[in-house]
Amino acid sequence: MRKGRYLLKRFVYIIFVFFIISILMFTIYKSLPGDPVRMMMGDNVKPEVYQQQYDTIRAQLGLDEPLPVQYVKWITNMLTGDFGYSTEYRKPVKNVVGVPMRNTVMLNIFSMLLVFVISIPLGITQAVKKNSVFDKAVQVVTIVGYSVPSFVIALLAIYAFAIKIPLFPISGAKTAGFNGTGMAAALDVAKHMALPVLVMSVSGIGSITRYVRASMIDALRMDYIKTARSKGLKEKVVIYIHAFRNALIPIVTVTTWWLIGLFGGSIVIETIFLWDGLGKMMITGLNQRDFAVVLAMQMFYVILSLVGNVIMDIAYTLVDPRVRLEN
Amino acid sequence: MADKNTKKKREKSTVGKAAQRMVFGGALTEEQEEILTPIQMVFRSFVQDKVAMTGVICFLFIFMCCVVLPFFLPIDMYYQDVTQANVGPGFGMLDVPSGLQKKARQVSLGSTFSVGIDEKGNVYEWGRFPTNKLKKLPADMGSLVQVSAGLDHVVALNDAGEVVTWGNDRMGLASIPLELRMGETVKEVYAGYQISLALTESGRLYNWGNDFLIDIKIPKEVQGNIQKFVANTDIVMALTKDGEVAALTTKTNAYTAIPEQIQGRVVDLALTDESVAAVTEDGQVHVWGNNVKGSRNIKEEVQGHVTAIEGGRFHYVVQLDDGTVQAWGDDTFGQTKVPDIKGKVKDITAGYYGSYIIDESGTVTGWGLKGYLMGTDDFGRDIFRRLLKGGRMTMTVGAIAVIISTIIGVIIGGISGYKGGKIDNILMRLTEIVSSLPFLPFAIILSAIIGNNISETQRIIMIMVILGLLSWPGIARLVRGSVLAEREQEFVTAAKALGIREWGIIFRHILPNIITVIIVNATLDFATCMLTESSLSFIGFGVSEPNATWGNMLNGARSATVIENFWWRWVYPALVLAICTISINCIGDGLRDAIDPKSKER
Repeated sequence: MRKGRYLLKRFVYIIFVFFIISILMFTIYKSLPGDPVRMMMGDNVKPEVYQQQYDTIRAQLGLDEPLPVQYVKWITNMLTGDFGYSTEYRKPVKNVVGVPMRNTVMLNIFSMLLVFVISIPLGITQAVKKNSVFDKAVQVVTIVGYSVPSFVIALLAIYAFAIKIPLFPISGAKTAGFNGTGMAAALDVAKHMALPVLVMSVSGIGSITRYVRASMIDALRMDYIKTARSKGLKEKVVIYIHAFRNALIPIVTVTTWWLIGLFGGSIVIETIFLWDGLGKMMITGLNQRDFAVVLAMQMFYVILSLVGNVIMDIAYTLVDPRVRLEN
Repeated sequence: MADKNTKKKREKSTVGKAAQRMVFGGALTEEQEEILTPIQMVFRSFVQDKVAMTGVICFLFIFMCCVVLPFFLPIDMYYQDVTQANVGPGFGMLDVPSGLQKKARQVSLGSTFSVGIDEKGNVYEWGRFPTNKLKKLPADMGSLVQVSAGLDHVVALNDAGEVVTWGNDRMGLASIPLELRMGETVKEVYAGYQISLALTESGRLYNWGNDFLIDIKIPKEVQGNIQKFVANTDIVMALTKDGEVAALTTKTNAYTAIPEQIQGRVVDLALTDESVAAVTEDGQVHVWGNNVKGSRNIKEEVQGHVTAIEGGRFHYVVQLDDGTVQAWGDDTFGQTKVPDIKGKVKDITAGYYGSYIIDESGTVTGWGLKGYLMGTDDFGRDIFRRLLKGGRMTMTVGAIAVIISTIIGVIIGGISGYKGGKIDNILMRLTEIVSSLPFLPFAIILSAIIGNNISETQRIIMIMVILGLLSWPGIARLVRGSVLAEREQEFVTAAKALGIREWGIIFRHILPNIITVIIVNATLDFATCMLTESSLSFIGFGVSEPNATWGNMLNGARSATVIENFWWRWVYPALVLAICTISINCIGDGLRDAIDPKSKER
């Protein structure tokens, strides 16, 4: 019951934050230079009908109304899933974002999985074998991993695995003119995704491993671990059930922050690998002054970050029953 | 506590001892029981941390390089030179092959390579070749008597008066005019920027190759009367047999403002990129045109003694009647630092950014641009110099962004933590809102919106402010937490009892107690800000060209061609950026360990 009320409170608060941010964003976008109407009209309009046509399109886009009205209209549309009209693609944004969103989510989910699969066992092993050569070596690797910027790793990866040893394609989301279905298509996508996923995971692996190690060491020092061991429990049980569950709390915090950052950070990766995702779309949208698209992308990132915060709250209540939710 | 300290002291490494002596003086002895302040404890334990100290040394080294070296290696950010584009790292441009020494007849300096011929007419090539075609020498050239190196091709003349050419063969550079192959005896050849020129014994000038770049119009009275010619990327100038200078163009420009008083008395002519120099019979040098990089600042002592003159891109080299050589003009690559020559000077050559002297014994000595430590980029800019400037920029942006975010964070966190209640609630909600803004997308958008119509300096300031404004929530939370813990302490109560104002309590009494935490966080934030700035610049929404940062230097290296063929354009900036952020993170970790002894046990 308490949990439910807490989550409801959080949810209401999150919506409040969402509206503040959306107003902020709307204000920013309205002060954008460049004229979307002129962009949409192109250059092939005769001078005599220019003004008339200009006004028509302006009215069509709803740009002649006062700002608060525009905002209310815009936010209502947003909430009903209508993200406006893309001046670049000449289509509703809704119809354009499908594939990029799928690509981005796919990219992020796979790298997330890769990070967890590698960093959690690695961090635990490090904590168990604290101060061993293995531990020290991995520590050096992880500090390098999270310090080096992703685009540097991307350049290195392209050089090593796409040019010197041509295992993977340099860029793109699928082979041009490729028409296969089923397994062949999946394989093609997997091949294109390998490098971006690898590059995106490096910094995550670096930082998450460090956090797992630190919180596991803290947990392993606790008295209940001694009790568990003296009970004669198997070491595996002690580590994975008793220690790890308690080590999860700080890991959850860090993981959520990292997740939010991951989607934002994939902008850089998508631009390098020309991955047809939201980040690349946003950059193109900005360069083309296609505000509707940029706005929708931005909304996506904001919602993602807010949802991330909610997930963090829920995850806390799940992993740590002691968390006093009223506070 | 004291016991622990003495134990620690015995274990102290030599580095620690040295640093201790440096900081605390040599007065401390092993036997004495010391009393350490928390800051001293932190410092000692930090100094003992080998990883952190390595980080400090690496970072300080890069930092000092970026601060000090640009004074010695200046760079004009707007400078571009396509002739020097994508030159690999190395310093071998002026290394004359030993086979040519002692028997050189003539040498010529091209964009990044040189060619020379010996007494027997054999050809030698050295330096960095812009195209591999340059290495494919044509068969049966005969015995060469003159060679000339251009941007990426070579034109040579053999003893039968025939012209041979190799290297870049596009733009019609391979199609030697029919007249030259049919009977006309060639006296002199010249290879320029995508163009070749040849002068015949009869004083006629022929050109082939790409003639769109240079407007060559040879007046009738000059054609057939040419004694010598010089050329650069804009114009061809000729010296007639009557000692007159003629500009072979129909346009009027800086080169065509030939001084009247020298006409008829000119014996030698040279051309740089913006000016023309002529030597008259009395050994006087007259220079006209634009005074770019000091090419018109003739040394006074040479006047009246000059016998021959040669010009590079922005410098002149003269041979004097006493057999010595002098140079003036641009000195970016040491073009005017003429080396001492033992023997008598036989011939001088200048071209692009270098010069050669051939002495009586046939020994060739070169000076000027020897190469680039880290190569050049696609605009011919020295990567090493840009790396230094870029490092300065990246660090400045990172540092100022951190200062901004720390100030905001400390103020908001301090007030929030000390005041509590409603103010705390409002400020923390604000913090939460800012921290739920997706960082990179927001930074990109702000930069795209604000950075549209502003100058480069404003743009740099904008990036700093954006980074600062978006990254303070972390530090605010940290400060709030620490203040919450500190405000219940007795000294705060005491301060309150003394009637000290709240502002004073927060910032003069509580803040010094949590300053270490702030410093650690600021250090780690510095690395993050540098990374973010680099990411932004890398995708083109940060500091923009021509200003260099480590991020935007990598921007040009995104294509597969560059990654594969011009590795030096991305390896060096990437390496420096990586070393720098790794070092800062190591320093931050070391500081954290030093402050929090508990974390050290991990």
